[in-house]
Amino acid sequence: MRTSAGLLEQATDRTLVERCVDGDTRAFQVLITRYGRMMKAYAVRLTRSSADGDDVVQEALISAWKRIDTLEDGAMVKSWLMRIVSRRAIDLMRQRKDTESTDDAIIEAPERDGPERKAEASSQLGALSAALDRLPHGQHQAWVLREIGGYSYEEIAEQLGQSVASVRGSLARARATLVKEMEGWR
Amino acid sequence: MNTDIPGPGPGEPGGCAHGIDALTDYLERDMLPADPSIDDSPECQRILRSLRRVRALAAPLREADEAAVTALDQDWIRGIMENIGREAKAGRDIPFAASDDDAALVITEGTVRGLVRGAGDRTPGVLVGRCVLEGDVTVIGEPIMLHVTVSIGWGKSVAETVSLFREEVAASLQQHTDLVVAGLDIVVDDLHFEADEIGEVGDDA
Repeated sequence: MRTSAGLLEQATDRTLVERCVDGDTRAFQVLITRYGRMMKAYAVRLTRSSADGDDVVQEALISAWKRIDTLEDGAMVKSWLMRIVSRRAIDLMRQRKDTESTDDAIIEAPERDGPERKAEASSQLGALSAALDRLPHGQHQAWVLREIGGYSYEEIAEQLGQSVASVRGSLARARATLVKEMEGWR
Repeated sequence: MNTDIPGPGPGEPGGCAHGIDALTDYLERDMLPADPSIDDSPECQRILRSLRRVRALAAPLREADEAAVTALDQDWIRGIMENIGREAKAGRDIPFAASDDDAALVITEGTVRGLVRGAGDRTPGVLVGRCVLEGDVTVIGEPIMLHVTVSIGWGKSVAETVSLFREEVAASLQQHTDLVVAGLDIVVDDLHFEADEIGEVGDDA
């Protein structure tokens, strides 16, 4: 006989969200299994740190559980979770910036230098990843939100608390740098 | 804006008169309507090609990032589950009728929902979504309505499956609670694929 955990893995996002609203923690665990890796990857890319990525996803998931009853359409849970990750990551980066009062142009050394990163370095993707890591903080965030997160300029402006014109400026500078750095890979 | 791009700058001979921002917009609207000042400029075309190449790498980068997250740490998940477990959604206390002991026995709304979900787990092809108890469950003997949404396994007979589920719920609530259920409203709001079905299809092929 199949276990109920196995049954739940077949549930649609909508059913899982409905169960979470009713307090079924097992349904939430299935959501974590389904989208946790995607959330982590996005959080690490946004924060440029594996440790910060873990913290961001953890906070995002706890926050999601608390207000999952505000999600109108359970079928949208994936993008809803990713949006919470975006917000948490941006908040964290903003706090960092406030406490360290670093200039936007100063780039912190990324922590993501594990074996998989080194293996990537020889590829075109690795070159892009490295170029992204060298971008100033604001440009980097705008680019990741746009190209990885898939948000509109308006949404990015709202999330970053900036004007659309400012977001466009950051993105243009980021793209100019990336295009230049990727010249050798054509 | 494109002064960082190698090659002639804007206004220089052979340069592209458009900034990165404008060229990106052009790319994102699939180069329509056609703009000859971009289409006929080799330098603009060169920058467009580079922009397109970087953009095309975004999806593979996302996939590679996800692949690099090999597995979620089980302790880390356990920590989250413990944390959300403290945010209990127990709901109202529902009394038992036959508690002549001095200790008033109750069952929580959350536990009743768990019973309904369990009834779903025992009914082949049913996954319970929401379960709402309507009425004053805190008053012994007060008739209540139960509203349940369910997802049905693909290919299952909806009428038959719902009927079986209805019997399971009634039996379970009768056994474990003193609730007087005046009506059980079941809404099928989703369909899901079951592993067995997928397996059978695979075997046939």
